[in-house]
Amino acid sequence: MILKQAVRQAARVGLCVVAVLAGFVPCWAEDAAPPAPRLTAEQSDFFEKKIRPVLVKYCYECHSQEAQTSNQLKAGLLLDSREGLLAGGDSGPALESDQPADSLLLDALRYETFKMPPKGKLPADVIANFEAWVKMGAPDPRSGQAPVKPQGIDLQAGRQHWSYQPLRTPQIPTVKNGNWPEGNIDRFILAGLEAKGLQPVADADRVTLIRRVYFDLIGLPPAPETIDAFVADSRPEAYALLVEQLMSSPQFGERWGRHWLDVARYAESLTLRGFIMPEAWRYRDYVIEHFNTDRPFDQFLREQVAGDLLPAATSDEKARQSIGTAFLVMGNTNLEEQDKTQLRMDVVDEQLDAITKGFLAQTVTCARCHDHKFDPIPTRDYYALAGILRNAKTLEHANVSKWLELPLPVEPELENKLRQHETVVAEMQQQVKAAQSLAKSLTAAASGKVSVNIDVVAAKDLPGIVVDDAQAKKVGDWKLSQSVRPYIGAGYLHDLDGEKGTKTLTFQPDLPKSGLYEVRLAYTAGGNRAMDAPVTVFSADGEKTVLINQQLPPPIDGRFVSLGQHRFEQTGQGFVIVANEGTKGHVVADAVQFLPADPGDLAAASVSPTADKNDPKLEAAQRASQQQVAEVKRLEKELQKLKAQGPQRPLFMSVQEEAKLEDCAIHIRGTVHNLGAIAPRGFLSVVSQGTTAAIPNNQSGRRELGDWLASADNPLPPRVMANRIWHWLLGSGLVRTVDNFGTTGEAPSHPELLDYLATRFVSEGWSAKSLIRQIVLSRTYQLSSVASPELAKADPENRLLGHAYRRRQEAECLLDAILTTSGTLDLQAGGSTIKPGTNADYGYQSALTRRAVYWPVLRNSLPELFEVFDFPDPSMVFGRRNSSTVAPQALFLMNSPFVQEQARLAAVRLLRDVPDNETGRVDLVFRRLLGRFPTATERTTALKYVETDASAADFKQQQTQRWSQLVQALFASVDFRYVD
Amino acid sequence: MFLGSHCNRRQALQTAACGFGSLALAGLAQAAATNDDPLAPKMPHFAPRAKRIIFLFMQGGPSHVDSFDYKPALDEQDGKMMSFDDARIIANTGKKGSSQRIMKPLWKFQQHGECGRWSSNLFPEITKHVDDLCFMHSLHTEGVAHGPATLFLHCGSTNFIRPSMGSWVLYGLGTENQNLPGFVSIAASTGNGGPRNYGNAFLPPVYQGTALGKAGGPASEATIRNLGNRQVDVATQRRMFDLTQSLNAQQIQTHPGDTELEAVINSFELAWRMQTHAPDVLDLSKESAATLTQYGIGEKETDNFGKQCLMARRMCEEGVRFIQVTYGDNTANPAWDQHSNLPKHADHARAVDKPISGLLADLKQRGLLEDTIVWWGGEFGRTPYAQTNGTGRDHNPGGFTMWLAGGGFKPGFAFGQTDEFGHLAVQDKVHMHDLHATMLHQLGLNHEQLTYRYAGRNFRLTDVHGRVVKEVLT
Repeated sequence: MILKQAVRQAARVGLCVVAVLAGFVPCWAEDAAPPAPRLTAEQSDFFEKKIRPVLVKYCYECHSQEAQTSNQLKAGLLLDSREGLLAGGDSGPALESDQPADSLLLDALRYETFKMPPKGKLPADVIANFEAWVKMGAPDPRSGQAPVKPQGIDLQAGRQHWSYQPLRTPQIPTVKNGNWPEGNIDRFILAGLEAKGLQPVADADRVTLIRRVYFDLIGLPPAPETIDAFVADSRPEAYALLVEQLMSSPQFGERWGRHWLDVARYAESLTLRGFIMPEAWRYRDYVIEHFNTDRPFDQFLREQVAGDLLPAATSDEKARQSIGTAFLVMGNTNLEEQDKTQLRMDVVDEQLDAITKGFLAQTVTCARCHDHKFDPIPTRDYYALAGILRNAKTLEHANVSKWLELPLPVEPELENKLRQHETVVAEMQQQVKAAQSLAKSLTAAASGKVSVNIDVVAAKDLPGIVVDDAQAKKVGDWKLSQSVRPYIGAGYLHDLDGEKGTKTLTFQPDLPKSGLYEVRLAYTAGGNRAMDAPVTVFSADGEKTVLINQQLPPPIDGRFVSLGQHRFEQTGQGFVIVANEGTKGHVVADAVQFLPADPGDLAAASVSPTADKNDPKLEAAQRASQQQVAEVKRLEKELQKLKAQGPQRPLFMSVQEEAKLEDCAIHIRGTVHNLGAIAPRGFLSVVSQGTTAAIPNNQSGRRELGDWLASADNPLPPRVMANRIWHWLLGSGLVRTVDNFGTTGEAPSHPELLDYLATRFVSEGWSAKSLIRQIVLSRTYQLSSVASPELAKADPENRLLGHAYRRRQEAECLLDAILTTSGTLDLQAGGSTIKPGTNADYGYQSALTRRAVYWPVLRNSLPELFEVFDFPDPSMVFGRRNSSTVAPQALFLMNSPFVQEQARLAAVRLLRDVPDNETGRVDLVFRRLLGRFPTATERTTALKYVETDASAADFKQQQTQRWSQLVQALFASVDFRYVD
Repeated sequence: MFLGSHCNRRQALQTAACGFGSLALAGLAQAAATNDDPLAPKMPHFAPRAKRIIFLFMQGGPSHVDSFDYKPALDEQDGKMMSFDDARIIANTGKKGSSQRIMKPLWKFQQHGECGRWSSNLFPEITKHVDDLCFMHSLHTEGVAHGPATLFLHCGSTNFIRPSMGSWVLYGLGTENQNLPGFVSIAASTGNGGPRNYGNAFLPPVYQGTALGKAGGPASEATIRNLGNRQVDVATQRRMFDLTQSLNAQQIQTHPGDTELEAVINSFELAWRMQTHAPDVLDLSKESAATLTQYGIGEKETDNFGKQCLMARRMCEEGVRFIQVTYGDNTANPAWDQHSNLPKHADHARAVDKPISGLLADLKQRGLLEDTIVWWGGEFGRTPYAQTNGTGRDHNPGGFTMWLAGGGFKPGFAFGQTDEFGHLAVQDKVHMHDLHATMLHQLGLNHEQLTYRYAGRNFRLTDVHGRVVKEVLT
């Protein structure tokens, strides 16, 4: 075990409980009640003089009965009695009777794995006393109690919690006012109200209703003509028809897909380093398509956990399912974490958090370090699930690890075309490479620098930026030699084949500009050389070490070996280190060359200050060089064109099965370097009724996880999703803690209704549309949002749903409504929307007229409107958004250039549509923004505001300004920002 | 609050189930009883020694062994190869012990002040204030790379999404001046966690930090977004504002007594006040020439950071609760990150030394240092040995120095020690959690009681750790 690390991990992971000192459980004390010891006088004396005072002074504060009483006990470890010592703490057995020296108590005192006491290491003689004492068999006269061990989790009792109970088909309640309900949903709601002697309020008026249902189903405002048509439509089925029409429009999926993207913590970049995830959009489109096509939700769920493993009839289906698995890769991962074992488990933890919160509304990750404190979720279950996800490779590990982008499955026909195209591109790339190489040597010649064939050249006579060994920063003893040719400058350096691990050479170039460079090391070969000389390039991309076999001749011009292409920033790190660590044989270094990848830059970087500009030979060489550089440019352009014209091989973000499939050990206290018993892969015990098949050894378990999530004996997903849909439509869930159905979450206000919805959801083929339709057609949904005085008094939180909730518009609805009003909204669907060539998201500005759902979700650069109006943090599962009312929102609406410009566009459009009727124009602007006509007072206020002196010279301009300002004030008004 | 908008403060009091730690409830409830506003000043848990914090963030990790942690052994053993447990190597490979070359400090150490504190001539101006500073030489923290360590410094966690310290403080104490944001981050870096370092995470959004400008950017750009309307004159703005409010006043009548809608109207009033008031606070032109000189404003090297420090003082005067000023940039290897070329530390030191010295003097002179904590430091320190290339030092989260001034921290005091080379904290160790706990304590907040219920459990800045380091408090 890596001792110190374990502590560091414990501190980092430390979710809920302090990990301090591990248990002390000697093997000779396996029985629960060891016989009372009889100490010799000598032993007793030793204990009383050397041991007890130390324990009292340094340990009891946190490890005694008193500490336990005052709730200060740490790590479940008591050190104030023999029983406490023997029973140990949280980390399990630690003392071997035959190896007492390895006791964790001593370990802690010695500051190895654990470090106790925390304020500072005790003097060596004190520690020696403890060692001696343990060697004696730890004679201890004290008696007392062992710490109260936490009770194991009682799963039977845990299953009594409402959310783990099997789904029931409830009886439909009878109601007194039988005329009111439109369907069963209404019967449940009315029964609840009637039980309290209450009645629902009146239905919402038609104008309010159409605005509500438009935003709820497609997230866009209805046009005034649409409102008129609906109000005038007296057919009884008019509303149902409207609902049907909205649910079959492509905008439906855009609205509902976005809801799910909140849960899926969807984003297109990572916080650390702002890396863009260029293929993330495919998942967004997949989700939108899912809601539009209304594929069964259980299938949706399986695909997001294991879509890449599911059978598929066509390559299209295969591709679609595989993209779903990007759900697992959406986490805001810390790719820089240096401890990759830790990183791997952090990724698993994040995935588990998203799966269990998203599909099960469970806080399973609380059980990473210890049994869940509140819910019946043992740590064993956590690692049973973690084992499944640990078998999914999510990152390619490096200094900065990288997520996986895999080729998307395509139809055979396209596959053929892709292959053909790739062959042509490869040929073309060869041509370009050859041309570049020629350009390089011509450029070298043209710059007055000698080419490669002279065996001793000066650094300045070589192309690019060359740092000779003479300029290298030396650590340790390096010897200059000229024994083997060719070399650069006065010779080369070698490490005398000695003092391995202590010598380095640092080559620090002065690069003229940021960009991509090919880095090469010059050395001289020989049979006495090292076969694995470590050479490390420090660039803007991090550091990369290449091992060079210096017994082989340098492959480039007999002088250089390439260290690859690297990106350098002028202000960032950029240097190369040759070390002799871990080598046998001489490590040799002659120079390091940095060649700009762009031949134009190469030419610029290679002009020799010493070259004679009037030399006719040189002039010819320069012409040739220029021609060749132009030729390279032409070929590169052609290659680019070829690449752009040909079919692109689509990539997607996903996970892969690990080569080795295995169970995961329980990580004691969640620390990755302190492993306990193996937890066989499996699912949540509290929800498994014993009918779930075991995971075969040759399977990762992800498919089985998907099946279990969607299985008939798992009541959580249908309940959770039915509740989410209810929440997204009504503005508040039957269970308001939509992501937490555990014991710390809230109980449902209408448990029977929730089960009714969940069972219908399943029985109707897990169809989200069907459930949405039922709810939207209920009378409950169609109620007015104004509470009656009785309801306001008896049910101030509206838990009984006697009226509708008035709801704050979400950021996307605001943006889409603003763009609709200004007439600029572009309804184009799907695709990547990040500006091509964007590497990092810092300072990214979105300026699209597409729907908000298509604006890139960049974790360091959310669009300002999103940020201000409570767009959910895309790093967390967010089933329920915040709804804040803060001054920055007001400042944004008053002053943001975006809002001002949209208001101006809306005003221009208004003035064009209604050229000369002021009142008509006021009515129209209210209807476009708020759906309704202005009240008499509003009309007067507005007319007064837009009054402009018609005789003024700049009348037109003034008029547009006034109307823009009116539009802007309406954007800022309550009725625009809320839906009734 | 975990029940969000449907469970406001008033309801919280009715049901007492909305997530404050039970002990915190008493204190917070008292304030809440008179005011529903989540930003209104709140009663702390006990009498505070400080009201606010100015955090001078030295991004990238300044070297403690070249500045404030004097280790003569480094001079004596310079160039020798010795075995060290390198944090990066341990993280990467689990291997303890690696051969490293001792590198002596590049700056000369001397004793300063009445307290006789050893410090180098890297910061000659700050050094003049040693009798006001409380040094903590035994800091240690989590995260070997910048990203994780920077998040840990700000949010008390390397990998998880957690609220930043300023957000916790604002949540616990509210703000004294609603015409300004209660938590500002001047010149925040967009790198290494970016917005998360001043983010509210799962705390209500009102507690989010407000970024003014960005790291390395000019002080003139450090302003609140959308603070003014450049397109129209003030009279027109007022007219528009009145129009908005009159429409709102009419519209909320359909839902009488709806506090959330009233809050919308209030948010506009506040925005208007902010718009009127904040530019004055950010306007440095009213400061005397002597003050400007004191901060190094007008001198090429110190002008920018000087302005940012002066801005911090002005906000401090106006009752802003938590002010962070970052000296850094937006790259993956920020400012103080001298893996190679350690002498570059001198450039950074020059840029911040006089401004910080000026800030300390100015705060003291105005009596503000009494109840303001000035906190200086980076996300970690640097190794006492040279990095492989021999000209710089690698990250060192195992032991480093931060200093504090004012706010009830013992002046002219030093606490804790690193080993003889300055590598690992060994005596009176102070973990970053401990420092967080201690600063909260000075603000009158018990770090174990300042909790927020999210996803089914209570969270706090110090997770389950943290010890108030009483030894450094007056």
